Amino acid sequence: MIGFLSRRLLSAIPVLFVVSLVTFLILWLVPGDITAEIAGPDATAEDLAAIRARLGLDRPLWERALAWYADLFRGDLGYSYLLNRPVSEAVLERLPVTLSLAGLALVMATAMGMLLGILAAVRHNTLVDQGAMVTALIGLSIPDFWFGIVMIILFGVWLGWFPTGGFVPLAEDPVGWARSMALPAITLALTQMGVIARMTRSAMLDVLGQDYIRTARAKGMKRSTVVFRHGLRNAMIPIVTVVGVITGVLLSGAVVIETVFSLPGVGRLIIGAIQRRDFPIIQGGLLITACVFVFVNILVDMLYAWFDPRVRNDR
Amino acid sequence: MRPQLQQSGLFRAITVASVLALSAGALGAPAALAQVQGGELVVVQGSNPPSLDAMVTSSQASRNINMNMYETLYGFSEDVRPIPILAEGVEISDDGLTYVFTLRQGVLFHNGKEMTSEDVKASLERYRVVGATANKLDPVREIEVTGPYEVTFHMVAPTPTFLESFSSPRAPAVIIPAEDAEAEAGRTSLIGTGPYRFVEFVPDSHVTIERFDDYTADTRHDGVDGFGGRKTAYLDRVIFRIIPEPGAQVAALEAGEVHIVEQMPMPAARRLADSPDITLYENMPWAFTTFHLNLNVPPTDNVKFREAVQVALDMEAIMAISSEGLYQLNHGWQYPGTAYWAGDIGAEYYNLGDVDRAQELLAEAGYDGETFSILTDPNIPQHGRAAVVIAEQLNGVGINAVINQVDWPTALSIRLQDEGWNGWTLQMGIEPYLGPVGTIATLTSPARPHFVVPDPELDALYQELISGVTLEERQETFSRIQARMYEIFASIKIGDSGLMQAGRANVQGFIPFRFPRMHDVWLEG
Amino acid sequence: MTADAGPAAAPPSLAREVARARRRRRQGFLKRLFGHPSFLIGFMILAAFTMTALLAEWLAPYGPTRINYRAILAPPSAEHWLGTDGFGRDILSRVIHGTQVSLRIGIYVVVLTGIMGTVLGTLASYVRWLDALIMRGLDGLMAFPGVLLAIALAAALGPSETNAMIALTVAFTPRTARVVRASVLVVQEMQYIEAARAVGAGHGRIVFRYILANALSPLIVQLTFVFAVSIIAEAILSFLGVGPPPPAPSLGNIIADGRSYVQEAWWIAVFPGIVIAVAVLGLNLMGDGLRDVLDPRQRLGRDGH
Repeated sequence: MIGFLSRRLLSAIPVLFVVSLVTFLILWLVPGDITAEIAGPDATAEDLAAIRARLGLDRPLWERALAWYADLFRGDLGYSYLLNRPVSEAVLERLPVTLSLAGLALVMATAMGMLLGILAAVRHNTLVDQGAMVTALIGLSIPDFWFGIVMIILFGVWLGWFPTGGFVPLAEDPVGWARSMALPAITLALTQMGVIARMTRSAMLDVLGQDYIRTARAKGMKRSTVVFRHGLRNAMIPIVTVVGVITGVLLSGAVVIETVFSLPGVGRLIIGAIQRRDFPIIQGGLLITACVFVFVNILVDMLYAWFDPRVRNDR
Repeated sequence: MRPQLQQSGLFRAITVASVLALSAGALGAPAALAQVQGGELVVVQGSNPPSLDAMVTSSQASRNINMNMYETLYGFSEDVRPIPILAEGVEISDDGLTYVFTLRQGVLFHNGKEMTSEDVKASLERYRVVGATANKLDPVREIEVTGPYEVTFHMVAPTPTFLESFSSPRAPAVIIPAEDAEAEAGRTSLIGTGPYRFVEFVPDSHVTIERFDDYTADTRHDGVDGFGGRKTAYLDRVIFRIIPEPGAQVAALEAGEVHIVEQMPMPAARRLADSPDITLYENMPWAFTTFHLNLNVPPTDNVKFREAVQVALDMEAIMAISSEGLYQLNHGWQYPGTAYWAGDIGAEYYNLGDVDRAQELLAEAGYDGETFSILTDPNIPQHGRAAVVIAEQLNGVGINAVINQVDWPTALSIRLQDEGWNGWTLQMGIEPYLGPVGTIATLTSPARPHFVVPDPELDALYQELISGVTLEERQETFSRIQARMYEIFASIKIGDSGLMQAGRANVQGFIPFRFPRMHDVWLEG
Repeated sequence: MTADAGPAAAPPSLAREVARARRRRRQGFLKRLFGHPSFLIGFMILAAFTMTALLAEWLAPYGPTRINYRAILAPPSAEHWLGTDGFGRDILSRVIHGTQVSLRIGIYVVVLTGIMGTVLGTLASYVRWLDALIMRGLDGLMAFPGVLLAIALAAALGPSETNAMIALTVAFTPRTARVVRASVLVVQEMQYIEAARAVGAGHGRIVFRYILANALSPLIVQLTFVFAVSIIAEAILSFLGVGPPPPAPSLGNIIADGRSYVQEAWWIAVFPGIVIAVAVLGLNLMGDGLRDVLDPRQRLGRDGH
């Protein structure tokens, strides 16, 4: 297991290197820079040139890239002039918002998805089954950011049950935090709920069709016992795998949902940085997000290896 | 033809608790009784301040906050005259080559130290290096400390308009402690002399400022006057929340989570016009809506073609849509009622929407369907909306207009290129407020004119304007400038747009201005 | 792919075997496909969507960019069935025309992703020394949250329809290449490939004739989902202001136009979103049907974006 883990961790290094190269490629393509944002709308060409020279943005990209890598090896992700603080600080401060949004959505998606999936499998080929699967399919067909807007119109504007956006830190006001996170998390969970429901259903159907389940039923065990003790436990392996995979997807979806609901997470930070041309934040933000992504993937691989020892020796 | 100057009749039905531009005199009498000390007021705006180091940025998002924390030696009064703020006054020598500024005594920085001439010199020297509009100090050869409360500017040449440009809030030359003078841009300790002081800035979330209890009020006045006057901070704290979504801003206002929306979308303003909880504040006029043509590339290098564009445009439709209904038609390059208003000059070309005449002019220009590329951005919504309507109208007369909508930083870098664009939509906010010099400076050398290729005649008129000794001379020059604008059709004036702001009904004493003044504002109940 | 019999170089018995199997598969394939209720419903939805896009000129009651400043933000009425936007433009007409952009982007991204994914996936699985290089590169791209990569690229390239296609292709190719690589690896191990190799069939022939033909099923299924995700992704890019620019309507930029008016004019944002959801539902149904018929082994839910 340790060998496997270290091999996976080592293989993450070239991946992250590619990530950093891609961010430089993007910066090379992007027209304009941070000066416009600092100087404001009515700045003249001279104003811009002066600021550019001051920030060293008139240096060629390769020179800036070398400097950036040199800093990176010292563990320094750079400094954002717009936010007036180190990049690592700015990104790490936002990470909890994104992670808690993705985490909440994961819990909701898993709970709802498994419930739907189990229901569908147990009532296989009935109206319940079809209803559950149609729900799941509709769930994964709705564009989540648009669903967020609809939720805002319905529950924020018309009914007034939840705030229409903004973020309350958990430490400051737990109730306020829950209220501010409810709509975004539900929105984000919707799509992935469909995925999990479909996976759960097919995994459950596989297991429930197997001999030992039928035997258990024949021996007169209660239906619910069979479903939950035997069926679900054995169906967990593929379900856990899918849950692992969608964790990454949720992190990605959180990026857009944060914008819809005005949540100060990493996604909004990076999108804002792209719009403002805050290069250090774009680079550092993408790198840290990719790290989280890679880490989640390793975790999933380990879970997978845990359940299925053959994987460990493969690859 | 009559001057096309009128409030839009279309939306006149809107009832607005209109607080129109108040004269300085009207402000003189303070409502002495009702003020309430304390409380926390939340202002919401759409974007982060690019910097809280006031010198380095000319963005509105920064100015909104910074002008509550910092002050300048001179600044504009309510009726846009330079008045002393941190200065006691200025003595200008007869030859116009020395300015002796005396400072008010006993003014404290937020760190408790008293402001002296050393701080002033250090601040202004820093401004020369990092100031976003550092060139406004170009006429100053040397800044000399001539006493503990006295600094003397030695000028390169007499510059009649110096005090105006020195007072400009665009990127204000604020006074900060000498210890911060060496700080790189954006790295100061954010200490000023204003009625509020900095507490914290969480980007994409909020900026918090709190009352500075040792603030030294300017007792020469009875009340607020523009950027200066006697300022009294009643609130304990002011939070500037950053919410990019206009819809979310309005929702927060309705829910009572915020007290003031700095830029209120007009549809929401109309919806809430009768709400007892909400007060609307109309700022009219607030900005020029303009359309600049690139004289360097075809087809816009041809003056006949440009004239065709001018007569093709139906300004009322463009303004109604781009401003969402808060506008006035105005062909002039100054606001009506201001000192330099040039009357009817050019009005005969304005708001025509004349398809036949445009097509005649196009034929005269020999236009044969070349692409007319309109550069715009969605970040300032008026830009994008105006471009869409302009493109539709130009297509209607047979011009092959296409929109190139990019984000704001990209737009700024493209418009600085000599090629690759034909037209550019721009809201000019602060320049018209600053008067004719600020406005025309953007259209003439030595800076790069917005329309790319300088017009020698306009350049000469600009030089005449800034060296004109008397107001009458300068007014006469400006009339000729406006006439010239309607000969070259290089920059097209679309109209004047307003700014709607809104507050909760319990916000008292708020008088809309070029930034949300948080002093002399209090919360009732 | 072609209807003629197996390769002349292969032993006659094998060639006959392959040809017969292929014919048998094709027979009844369409029948089974259209007999599948999911596929049928999905196909009908997509057909309706496509027809709307093709006939937009005739179906739309107004020009999609026609401005009317006297009818700004008008609610749904007999005159404007789905209301108007902040320019007084008819939402129904804009939605109808907007389907063209979604369809174009979907098709181009599917074709480009299919080509890129197939080339990279096949190269990686067939040319051993390229495998590690290609896969690490793809891993690197996949380490970005897909949407974020597309947003960054689209912002960098500038907002246009073409650039949105490029950005989405870059974002979706890695996963597609992985699908191709995985199925090619499986096919490669099969006996008839070894047999073909043993009788001296060339690399090109083996790749095109046997391997790709057999990796096609999972690829088609994958691409159906790429199509669906592209439609959503276009909307996201437009929503964030890096999609196809105005004034031409796309389903995404209509939603973006409406987001400032959720309280005053909910109809702007709501209707195009419903159209997107229905189109994506149709594609997902088709994908499910295709998967059941083509590739019954693979049953996993679709990839998110």
